Amino acid sequence: MEFISRTQIIVALAAVGLAVFVLELVRRRRLGEEFSVLWMAASVVIAALGFSTPLLRLITRILGMLFESSTVFAVGLAFAVAVLLYLSVKLSRLTVEHQIVVRELALLRHEVERGGGPGEGA
Amino acid sequence: MSPRRPRSAPEAGPGSERQATRRSRGRVLLIIPALNEQGSLPRTLDELRLHAPEHDVLVVDDGSRDATAKLALDRGVEVVRHAVNLGVGAALQTGFRYAVEHGYEVGVQFDADGQHDPRFLDALVAPVLEGECDVTIGSRYVTASGYRAPLMRRLGMLVFSGVVKLALRQKIADTTSGLRAYAMKVMEVCQRDFPKDFPDAPLLIALARRGFRLREVPVSMRERSAGRSFYTLGKSIYYPYKNLLASLMAWIQRPV
Repeated sequence: MEFISRTQIIVALAAVGLAVFVLELVRRRRLGEEFSVLWMAASVVIAALGFSTPLLRLITRILGMLFESSTVFAVGLAFAVAVLLYLSVKLSRLTVEHQIVVRELALLRHEVERGGGPGEGA
Repeated sequence: MSPRRPRSAPEAGPGSERQATRRSRGRVLLIIPALNEQGSLPRTLDELRLHAPEHDVLVVDDGSRDATAKLALDRGVEVVRHAVNLGVGAALQTGFRYAVEHGYEVGVQFDADGQHDPRFLDALVAPVLEGECDVTIGSRYVTASGYRAPLMRRLGMLVFSGVVKLALRQKIADTTSGLRAYAMKVMEVCQRDFPKDFPDAPLLIALARRGFRLREVPVSMRERSAGRSFYTLGKSIYYPYKNLLASLMAWIQRPV
């Protein structure tokens, strides 16, 4: 196997390490499968670029990058942006849902303390 | 389910006034969002009892850490407590939800801090109750009133009233006024579709886009008597940004 630089090997191994770590987090139920998808995709793609120099060269040429290293950075950055955006969307939805739950809880507690529901009474 | 009497309710003794407030429900619910307002809420409630005894009052305690809820309960008004702080918009929405569930015809947004004068309530509520419009806004700028806001605030108000005017083709002078009356059908819509954080310019645009009729009613406001405004917590940069964006979105979004 041919490598362009020592950095490429480090990046490739780091990507494998990330994949293993992500899988371990899923195994220990610290990370939901759903959230692991983007991370796994990122590590697989970067590992592929790291281990296959022809592939890395090809993509670098297609993208018009000047250096192979820039390609790896660009791909990594793209995944980072994707993950962050995904989390922001999730968080926004969660905020709304959280509001609804707190509201329901507040109204329910009020009803319980008052005794009876809204349909009751005069 | 068997109807339970509030025997186990914490601080309600037998035949306490809390039960008495249930006897008959009015048509109008005053919704008071409150966050750590122990300093001014009691006075506000006393004033309301004096000048607007015919209206029911709901205090939405938005996760206060002080005695806000207890002081309100002591005065015999209804209190709904958020377990955590959600923001003034969410508190108002909780009030709407309560009003709709309990069949109130009109919900009035009323500040806990003593800025609002209960003597203007009749003028605010009447047009909505009579079906002349769907939302009334108690406005400081329709006619000359006693209130002078700080310069930055005035500037912001000018910008947002411009945005609202552009979006609605209707002039609303006081978009940040927290004194408003909403018809039930408006409160129903707000269950599903409600801007986050601050219920002002974006809400007005969203409501007007749905075809609800807005009207401004001249009022005068006072300085807050104690506590801190919802609007001053280092939000002076975030607020204009967020409000402009939300206004724009309310303008172009399809109603949910």
